[in-house]
Parts: sequence; structure tokens; C-alpha cells
Amino acid sequence: MKKQRTFLARLLTGKHAALWVSVLVILLTFVTAGILLLILKKNPLDAFRGFLQGCGILAKEKYGGGSGQLTDLMDFLNYLAPMILASLAFITAFKAGLFNIGISGQMLLSGFTATVLVGYNKELSAFIAKPLVLLIGMTVGMLVGILIGFLKFRFNIHEVVSTIMLNYIISYLTDFLITSNYLDMMTRNSKICTPESRMTLTNVMIGDLKCKIPLALIVAILVALLVSFLFRKTVLGFEIKAVGQNQRCSRYAGIRISRTILLSMGLSGAIAGLAGVAYYLGYTNSIVPNTLPGMGYDSISVALLGNGAPISSIFAAVIVSIFQQGANYMSSSVGVAKEIASLITGILLLFAACGNYMKYRAERKMQQAADSLPDHEAPSSTGAQAGKEAETP
Amino acid sequence: MNKVFTDGLSFALPLLIIAIGALYSEKSGVTNLAVEGFQGVGAFCGALVATLITPLMGVGNQAIIYIAILSAAIGGALFSCIHGLLCIRFRANQVISGVVINILSVALTAFLTSAANSAISGTASNKFVLDVSARFSIPLLCDIPWIGGLFTSMYPFEIMIAVLVVVMWYLMNRTRFGMRLRACGENPQAVDAAGGSVTRIRWIAVLISGALSGIGGMCFAYSLLGNFSPSIYQGFGYLAIAGMIFGNWKIGPTTLACLFFGLAKSGGLQLCIAAQLPSRYTDLFLLLPYVLTLLLLVFFSKKNRPPKAAGEPWDQSKR
Repeated sequence: MKKQRTFLARLLTGKHAALWVSVLVILLTFVTAGILLLILKKNPLDAFRGFLQGCGILAKEKYGGGSGQLTDLMDFLNYLAPMILASLAFITAFKAGLFNIGISGQMLLSGFTATVLVGYNKELSAFIAKPLVLLIGMTVGMLVGILIGFLKFRFNIHEVVSTIMLNYIISYLTDFLITSNYLDMMTRNSKICTPESRMTLTNVMIGDLKCKIPLALIVAILVALLVSFLFRKTVLGFEIKAVGQNQRCSRYAGIRISRTILLSMGLSGAIAGLAGVAYYLGYTNSIVPNTLPGMGYDSISVALLGNGAPISSIFAAVIVSIFQQGANYMSSSVGVAKEIASLITGILLLFAACGNYMKYRAERKMQQAADSLPDHEAPSSTGAQAGKEAETP
Repeated sequence: MNKVFTDGLSFALPLLIIAIGALYSEKSGVTNLAVEGFQGVGAFCGALVATLITPLMGVGNQAIIYIAILSAAIGGALFSCIHGLLCIRFRANQVISGVVINILSVALTAFLTSAANSAISGTASNKFVLDVSARFSIPLLCDIPWIGGLFTSMYPFEIMIAVLVVVMWYLMNRTRFGMRLRACGENPQAVDAAGGSVTRIRWIAVLISGALSGIGGMCFAYSLLGNFSPSIYQGFGYLAIAGMIFGNWKIGPTTLACLFFGLAKSGGLQLCIAAQLPSRYTDLFLLLPYVLTLLLLVFFSKKNRPPKAAGEPWDQSKR
């Protein structure tokens, strides 16, 4: 037992510490979710297979006409695109020490504006409409982001409070506008947008399978690369990170805090706007009134799991999306309420929030091991002590 | 006009008790955005207990309400242990922890509600329907012109909350425990040097905030919704936090802020009804409290002085 613990500690303090913390977090989540499923008297392995089958990663037993594993996989990628973008939006603000909880609201407002301005315009061709929706989404999101940043540094309003307030304001406002002008009487959602403006190509035949082609996924991966470049190679990225680590120190170094906060919040909003377009004019083609997309909150768990790094967030987004997208099939095949997907995401978040503590414990452990090395009898006693300490604080 | 005061008060008081919960936690140095989750889980526990004991005690038995509120407080306190564990024991980022708990609580209660409903009645419903709470008017006071509405058709829990607010004010400002709690938020090292346990005080503060938020959530479930459903998560917790910030982390001004929110909300709604606008216009009035909050924060946030050590994990070796 002791040996395994030191091995774990070495992994968590080593070169790829961030990766191993994420792996540990995922493992812990699987174990907890497994126990939960066992309590419900279901086979956890069946459930996990159900999640994967629902996303087209594993094959289902049978498929309807014209659909197959590839159809499911494309649907999954269609869901993944806005998820990646939303988590990138969170990361961009998070690096500056800001919590953009309002991604849902920014997504909704930009998706709504793009739908109204371009999605209902039947004269625009696809080559004009598609870039235009992206541009509108980005602009609207950026304006909301800048407003939040402005309230933060000018009036000292904590961004969590202002984003939450804006979320509700946007939700009620769009609900009012949709129900008064753009309601589809049959579905009680907003009217659907034109196929030309939609970021997903529908009913594309690949072989004999009907598939969706998510164009937004290309945008998402491009943005991920750009954000990664921003934080690795540019002055602005460095300044944002510096402000996030220590505001007072960055001020002494001559960084303009207000400008940096505005820029990072604006960027975050712009990416959230893209996510909104990818969600409302891609994954779906209409807006459910008075409902904020839950994805805005899921993106926080993605960003935390990916340790705030743009590229690893893509992989984290895959994991979280598997639970969300596969939930329907899993629910019907295993017979567990589909709310369990959100519950698993929540548990994942909980463990991800403890990631730093795991690293801290591992460092302590390594230190203790290093301290007790010269003395031959000491290791056993410190090991026992460490074990005791872990149990009783 | 009377309706504005009646509804305003029944919204403001649960909000206030949640705000005081958040205030206790923040004054002890633990930033607490998790009250939104606490109130939801508290309401869930209360509603679950109410649904379970209603067949035993008979429909319409008013004692059920008090039992439900008590179990909501216990449930909220138990759930707040997660926040305590993350913030105090695991030294996680307190803002992250709060957000995480809010997300978890929505998922947890949605899952448990449908699981419990299918276990109890066999139907997969996402809500618990609650009994209607009795209401009463205070004689004499309710006849006062203008403000008489404040004392007409009150919920029994409103009196309870009012008493609780006074008790909580006394505990915070007039007792030794309250002084230490406030010191923990300003200078935990001083508390430690004086022989107090920062960890213990913060744990108690977080548990108090969980219990108070649970009570607030249950009252919302009785007064606003008449049931427990996912619509309990309408951001009342965040509104309460805004009220606390607006009240500059002091119980007196926070009370005024919450009363203001309550009156703004009910006033807007009554205005909409009086103007005989179509129902879709209610949206515009529902967003009124949120817009007002933002505007007021613009004017009042600058002078605010939050507890100095709020948001910082306690580290004994730091000086």
C-alpha cells in the first residue's frame, strides 16, 4: 500500500503532473458513478457502454434505416463543437483570474441575434450567411464580455454576480422577444433558421448513411489553436496570465490592468458568442424560450478538467460530451433516469476542484519521503505517520 | 397596493435569510456562492420529508410545514459540508467550489426527485407537490393605512424568519463567538494567536449558512411555487448575495436591500397586472429586480469593504 502511494505521489509531482491529476479525477469519477449505479442495482459496465454507444463510439445492436454508427458519431461531433468553444471562452477569462459564469447568457444572446439578423433572411446565400453569423455572434458576445469587464474594473462589481444577473436579464429578454415575434406555434420554440445560415450541413449522404457535417468543429479547433498560441507566444497572453496570477505585481511591472481585464473578458465573450452560434445555428436550429443552455455550465467542468489548457480541453470536452450526448441512449437501454449524466458531470467537477489539493498532498508526500531517506529505520515510521495523517486531519 | 406589500414581504424574507446565511460564511472568511445550491437542496430535503409524512399526518396538517422547514435546515447544513470540505479542508478555490456545488445541486436534486417519485408513487415526475400553507393577518396592525399590507395574509414562516434574523444579528454582533467569527474574516492569524480555532469557526459558519439557506429555499418552495421542482433554481441565491454586497456585509443594510428587492419584484408584477398587458410582458417585469440589482451595484459597490481574508484558505504557517 505504502509503495503504491509513493508511486502515485511521484506521478502527481512528475513531469506530466497535470495530465495525471486529470486521469485520477476521471478514475475517481468513474468509481463514484459506478458505486452509484450499483446502488441503483444496475450494471455500471452496461451503463458506460450505453454512453459510448449513444455517441457512436461503440456500435449499437441495431440501427434504423439510413442511420448507423457514423450518424451517431457525427451527431456527437456536432454537440462537441460548441462545447469546445464554450470551454475555451471560460479558459480565456479564467487565465486573467476572472470567472465567466455568464457563458450561457452570452451564448443565448449571440445565438438569438444571429438567428434574427441572418437566420431568418431567406435571400442570403450560404457563402455570405455562414461567415456573417459567426461575425455577428462574435461581436455580440464580445460586447457583453466588455460590459462585464467594464463593470468589474470601473465599479468593482464581482464578475460572478454581474454575469449571473446578465444571464437572467438575457434569458427573460430573449423570451419576451421570441414569444412576441418569432414563435413557432407548433413547437413553442422560435422559428427555425434557414439551412444556408446553419453551421451544420444536414442530410449529407456518406455511403448509404444520412449524416450531419458540423462545420463549427473546424472553427472550434482553429480557435483552440489560436488561444493556445495567444497564451504561449504573445505579449497579450503573457499579460493576461500575469494579471491572473498577481494583480499588484503586474501593475508594478507596467501592465495596464484595466485594459487587460477588458481584453480578456471581451475575448472570452467573443468565443462564447461563437459557441452560441455553433449551438443555436448548428447543433439545434431554433431556440427554446426562457431556457439557458446547460452547456455554459458544463464548459466550466471541461475547463477545470483540462487544467485550463486549450488543447487538453478538447479531450476534456470529449469526455464530458460523451456523458451528455450519450445519456439518452444509455437511459433507454439501461433504464436509469437521464439526469444521471448531469450528476456524473457534477461529480467530475467536484473532484476536478480538488485537483490542486491532490497535487499538494503528493508534494508533501514526496518531501516526507525525501526527508526520511538517509535514516534506514525512519521510512516505516513516517509512512505510518503519513497514513495516519491522511485519515485524521 | 396592499398586495404589493404582502407579496413583497413574502419574497423578501426568505431572500433575507439566505443573504444572512451567505453573510455568516463570508464574514468568517469563506466566500460563499454556494447558497444557491444550498437553498435548492434544502428545499428538496424539506419537500421530500413533507411528501413522506403527509400520508401519516393527514393532508392539511399545518405541523408538516414546520417539520419540512426543520428538515430543510438540516438538509442544507449537511449539503454545506461539501463546501466546507472543499474550501476549508481541501483548500480549493472558493469561487470554483461555490459554482461547482451549484451545478452539482441542480443535477443531484433533479436526479433524486425523479428517483424518489418513481419509488414512492411509481410515476416519474420531476416535482413534489406541497400542501398550501395557511396564512393569517395580524389584527390591529393590518388596519394601518398604507403599510397595513405588510401584516396581512402572512405566512407563518415570515414571523419565524423575522425572529431568526434578530437572533442571528445578536449572535454576530453581541457575542464572543460572533466577534471571533468576524475576526476570522479579517485577520485569522489574530484569532489563532488568541487561542481560537479558525478551522472550527469557519466550519460552524459554513454549516450555519447551509442551514439558513435551506430554510430560505423551503420558504420559497411554499410561498412562490407551491411545489418543489427544478424551477427553485431561479437565481434567488445569487440575488441574495447581491443583496448582501449591496448591504455592505452588514445585517441591517442587507435587510433593507432584500426588502427593496421584494417590493421591486411584486411592485413590477402588480404594475403589469394593473396595466392589463398581455402575459408575455410579465417577462419584462420579471427581469426588473436583476436590472435594478446591477444598477444599484454600480452606485454602491465602489465604497464596499468586503471581509479582508474572504476567499483565502487558512494557512497556519503564513504570517
